[in-house]
Amino acid sequence: MNDSNRPPQTSRRDLLKAMGFGGLSLAATPLLNACGVGTGGSTGGAANGASEVSGSFDWKKAKGESIKILQTPHPYQQSFQPLLKEFTAKTGIQVTADLVPEADYFTKLNTELAGKSGEHDVFMTGAYFIWQYGPPGWMEDLKPWLENDSATSQEYDFEDIYEGLRTATSWDFKVGSPLGTGGQWAIPWGFETNVIAYNKKLFDAKGIRPAETWGDFQQLAVDLTDRSKNQYGVSFRGSKSWATIHPGFMTQYTRMGCVDYKSSGGKLTAAMNSPEAVEFSQQWVDLAKHAGPTSWTTYEYPDCTRDLGDGTAAMVFDADSATYPKNKKGASREAGNLAWHPGPAGPDGSYATNLWTWSLAMNSASKKKLAAWLFIQWATGKEAMSRGVQQGAFADPTRQSVFDSVFKQTLGAFPGYLDTFEKVVPETKIQFTPQTSFFETTEDWAVALQDMYSGKDAKSSLDDLAKSSDSKVNA
Amino acid sequence: MTTTMDETGTREHRHGGTGGTGREVKPVPAWRRRLRPYLLSVPALLITVGILYPFVLGAYYSVLNYAAVRPTPEFVGLDNFKTVMSDPIFWTSVRVTAVYALVATAVETVLGVGIALLLNRSSIVGKIFEKVLILPLMIAPVIAGVIWRLMFNPQFGILNHVLGLGSTFNWLSTKTALWSVILVDVWIFTPFVAILVLAGIRSLPKEPFEASDVDGAGWFYMFRRLMLPMMWPYILVAVIFRFMDSLKIFDHVFVLTAGGPGSTTRTLQIGAYEDSIINLNYSVGSTYMFLLWALVFLTARYLVSVLGKAQKRAAGSET
Repeated sequence: MNDSNRPPQTSRRDLLKAMGFGGLSLAATPLLNACGVGTGGSTGGAANGASEVSGSFDWKKAKGESIKILQTPHPYQQSFQPLLKEFTAKTGIQVTADLVPEADYFTKLNTELAGKSGEHDVFMTGAYFIWQYGPPGWMEDLKPWLENDSATSQEYDFEDIYEGLRTATSWDFKVGSPLGTGGQWAIPWGFETNVIAYNKKLFDAKGIRPAETWGDFQQLAVDLTDRSKNQYGVSFRGSKSWATIHPGFMTQYTRMGCVDYKSSGGKLTAAMNSPEAVEFSQQWVDLAKHAGPTSWTTYEYPDCTRDLGDGTAAMVFDADSATYPKNKKGASREAGNLAWHPGPAGPDGSYATNLWTWSLAMNSASKKKLAAWLFIQWATGKEAMSRGVQQGAFADPTRQSVFDSVFKQTLGAFPGYLDTFEKVVPETKIQFTPQTSFFETTEDWAVALQDMYSGKDAKSSLDDLAKSSDSKVNA
Repeated sequence: MTTTMDETGTREHRHGGTGGTGREVKPVPAWRRRLRPYLLSVPALLITVGILYPFVLGAYYSVLNYAAVRPTPEFVGLDNFKTVMSDPIFWTSVRVTAVYALVATAVETVLGVGIALLLNRSSIVGKIFEKVLILPLMIAPVIAGVIWRLMFNPQFGILNHVLGLGSTFNWLSTKTALWSVILVDVWIFTPFVAILVLAGIRSLPKEPFEASDVDGAGWFYMFRRLMLPMMWPYILVAVIFRFMDSLKIFDHVFVLTAGGPGSTTRTLQIGAYEDSIINLNYSVGSTYMFLLWALVFLTARYLVSVLGKAQKRAAGSET
């Protein structure tokens, strides 16, 4: 047999060379794939579907259809999951709920909406996301649906939903315009006010009460910190995320008289570097250093509520509905020992509070818009919301009638929860100025706080932030 | 069986031997023969298209101003490259990525080679460790990030408890975060280097070592003069894999720090993710990815050329 007839053999050198190029391919492929983000590319959203619905209203109008909804596992979703069969019985519409963990939820949602596939007809969203999803036309304007008597039951009382929530999910996407203008992009489903949850058993043992002023609050948190016993005063978010800014920080920032932007002539000017904002931001970061969790820059809300539930943190400044489950029997070590307080008032007595609302929105690329609207209408209606509160862990319903009639009855074992809610709710709204670069500029804000935490000068950090934010929000 | 070709090039098969029937096999039509190479290359072509399409799309986006808030993008030439490269945060990401890749690869290589040399000695312990060592590689880096995040937690993490650091030492502070995420990388990927190098050591010819032994050479002399030059190509392959992989690191770093505190651990991949997925600014994200691709490509080309030279040296064809 001559050489040409030999089966091809791979030499050691060829193998090594192939492995070397294999390394190159391995390294390059994910990079190339990652370049293909957002393959939508088309303009605007589909036409609004409300005008196609006529005749008298009937829950069975879309009988036989199937819709898919995208949700994140959350007490709101978990409270409604058992009720879905009741919706099917009422409407004849089948519902499939796809769940994505909250850490990945908006990544999944962003990618799906950008692709305009219309895979999910309805999705859970927060109000800030409307500012980003609305301009490219990814969301259906629900105002025409609300105004169409053929599509909306006469019993559906939209005005029953708290005003701050209705306006939070409505905007015209113009720089400088306030919330409450333009379309209704989502219907509020559940919401959160940002207040103090504290370990009442610990406070009672020490004979102390929650602080009423910002200065007293800082001192109290420091006094409750004993690192040798692995106990600290107050937990609040600090991770590199927009979500660090919106709960406790934005609430107290607003109470101290600070604003994020000033609007004039259709142009926004960043005000995070105003003297009062610099002073407060430095105090907030110092509070994190002296009385917060040691790894504050990684802390997200589950970390905060876990430390409260474990007894490591004496207080948490975050969403009331996030701390609420920790007081349920068996949910944490400190279950039954927690209580709520509005937190420190501002110098002028302000209890201005920032809110978060989980809302239901319709994908503008949906092919089953009537069925999708009937689902949203049912889920945000009085009947289903009352059942969710009664049967599940649905805290802070968005309808005043449900809050007053059903939710109040569940608050017996939650000291201070109702008083706190009633104290802050008149001044609870989105305290941010709406703008389409919200996530980018607000994450930059969190980065500025982290830089200050690392020792960078507060004024220069916030000056840099204001400068970059100015260019982004007015672009 | 014999095969002959007729004048037209048609292949004709005949079965030989006394028991053969000698039945003629129908000749393959010429059009099918011409089509066969194309059909065989279809899977590879599909994979290539699957890789090239997003690449070309990403390159195209990088010269547009495409973002969610601008669904009708315009051509902006190299503006995105100018903007990104004039932003200090980009150069911070380049520095973080380079330090991460260099330190992680160096530590993993040194440790991996050391472990491979220890495992090469036949012993029961070595054989057990060989199996156990592979375990970190079985864990997805994202999961490893979650596990290490719990272990790093100063309030209840096991590391501070075991090391007696109390609740005040922060593994993910500005000063320590980069080194901590590198530590996790080392934990996951050192076994990869060790196993690759161990396979290389075991494939080396025994004769030169036996000859040296007969000549009375010591272990260190044999290691330095014989083993190291011969296993150098294998070490380089491990270095190429790990260095390229480290340049595009994302998963466990994102889980542990999301690129923070501040921008302390913001690698190029995290920068691209922030722009593309969080901020929905596709063109800026694609520009980041394109620059990272260029960095990976050029580095890989250089390292592969170094590998080629090392192979020649190991084979004795180049001095």
